[in-house]
Amino acid sequence: MIAGDRDALLLRGPRDAVVFRLGRRSAALAAITWLLAGCAAVLSLSLGRFDIETAGVLRVLGGGGTLIEYDVVVRNRLPRAATGLGAGAAFALSGAILQRIAANPLVSPDVIGVNSGAAFGALAVLTVFGGSGLHTVAGALAGAGATAAAIFALSAKRGLSGHRLVLVGIGVAAMLTSGVSFLLTRADYHGATAAAAWLTGSLANRGGLHAAIIAAALAAAVPALVVLARHVRLLELGDELAGVLSRHAGRARTALVAVAVGLAATATAAAGPIGFIALAAPQIVRRLLPGRGAAFAPTAAVGALLTVSADLAARMLFAPVELPVGAVTGVVGAPVLLYLLARANRIGHAG
Amino acid sequence: MTSHSPSAATLAATGLSLGYRSQTVVDRVSVALPPEQVTVIVGPNGCGKSTLLRGLARLLKPRGGAVLLDGADIARLPARSLARRLGLLPQQPVAPDGITAADLIARGRHPHQRWFRQFSDTDAAAVSRAMAATGVTELAERPIEELSGGQRQRVWIALALAQDPDVMLLDEPTTYLDPAHQVDVLELLTGADTRSGRTIVLVLHDLGLAGRYADHLIVMKDGEIAAQGAPSQVVTAETVEAVFSLPCRVIEDPLTGTPIVLPRPRR
Repeated sequence: MIAGDRDALLLRGPRDAVVFRLGRRSAALAAITWLLAGCAAVLSLSLGRFDIETAGVLRVLGGGGTLIEYDVVVRNRLPRAATGLGAGAAFALSGAILQRIAANPLVSPDVIGVNSGAAFGALAVLTVFGGSGLHTVAGALAGAGATAAAIFALSAKRGLSGHRLVLVGIGVAAMLTSGVSFLLTRADYHGATAAAAWLTGSLANRGGLHAAIIAAALAAAVPALVVLARHVRLLELGDELAGVLSRHAGRARTALVAVAVGLAATATAAAGPIGFIALAAPQIVRRLLPGRGAAFAPTAAVGALLTVSADLAARMLFAPVELPVGAVTGVVGAPVLLYLLARANRIGHAG
Repeated sequence: MTSHSPSAATLAATGLSLGYRSQTVVDRVSVALPPEQVTVIVGPNGCGKSTLLRGLARLLKPRGGAVLLDGADIARLPARSLARRLGLLPQQPVAPDGITAADLIARGRHPHQRWFRQFSDTDAAAVSRAMAATGVTELAERPIEELSGGQRQRVWIALALAQDPDVMLLDEPTTYLDPAHQVDVLELLTGADTRSGRTIVLVLHDLGLAGRYADHLIVMKDGEIAAQGAPSQVVTAETVEAVFSLPCRVIEDPLTGTPIVLPRPRR
């Protein structure tokens, strides 16, 4: 039985009316990485100014523990860990979708300016309109959507080219960065300090709202991806073959881009524009797995693990001073970006 | 769940005009591609061959006229049935990094699958058949970038075969191949395994190979049909000189009786 590749595992319903295909290694990697991400999250619940041993954390999560323990773990640290897991997964999925359909690892929301667009939108709501909470989410979605539409419109020329997207995106991102600086000069001192921390990507002071935002985004995106994932395998064959093999290829691509932009925007609204997760997570998974599955599940897991570990490092390395998580992902992620740039330069393009 | 076998399908264009932006590349072309035969389209660079092929595959919207599949306008055919019946292999398809031959070929089954039925025994059988017909069964687990140019082209043809279309359009499938592999690919495309009731349309550059492998030959110039018919009637010194501006003599191939074009020396 040839299922495209030996790695494929077919989940069959009665009489083959329903058949799903999974990569064996991809499923295994996803399970292991989610487990590790879960462990990192529990660790981040236990470490901090008040250390609570892991058993204590599990006891609190199970409904036991003292009132102080409950306050520290559930009120203070849990939203932060949950937002970190969710935002990491969302950034990673967004990067995986865009990189795959543009067949270029640099077409990632943090490189082509989608995150900057979301940040600009959210910041405009924060500083100009004085909104907060859900308003910033709306601002981030509007900013990211408008930015993505502008980038794709400017770089579209008889189909989609990864190269043009990267160049146009970097230009648009630079413009948005100036826009963000402008907004910061208009803000008062407290607003500017808070905005600056948020702009580096920060998980400090996350509340239930942030975790809920990202959970809602993932709850909408994951079912959409289950349906759309098989189109990714087609779109990366190029416009012509994809157009012949599916007469809805254009629509599927628009839907996938919308999902990717929505994920990046909500993750940015919840956690700030944390850099390099969207860029690095899909590349790490590609190097761990053979062949070319969609591999969305392990990519999301790697994104979650990276973000929570980076946040843990950001909190613990210079304790009691906390770094924003984006500073750590930047230090870890920049070499990945340099490596990809060097590689793309050498072979003209890099899938 | 029976295996679908290609049925004789007639693809035709009536008064078809195609172009990009302000430029018209194909101008009111009417052609009928004979069912279950091999049609080869030739013509000088920029004459609109590839554009015509894209138009026939509904990758370009007609500016005028229509493309008919068994008499029905393909612009109105249901998307899925069109994707099952009409295949196109572009001139230089790009394979994703690191993909294996088997994975690539299996993607040709897309129009036969649904999101909730991502693989069936019919798919497996079609992929195996396509790999056997193109002789790439042994290469199944090899990454595409490790294959030679000829092997790679066979894998792409296997993808087009796995789709199992009634009409298969191929844009310059022999470009960048050495003469032995060119013949190899054309023998494969015109051989019984590949054809079995399929209508095949090829764009080629080599007039000798076009004359040898075509049942029906279409010569294009400046977006219009300059001549069409059986190769022995179409390939004449006058036509070649008029279309390609190439002074020549046409002789009969001693091996196959098909026409061969001998360019006249200029010095």
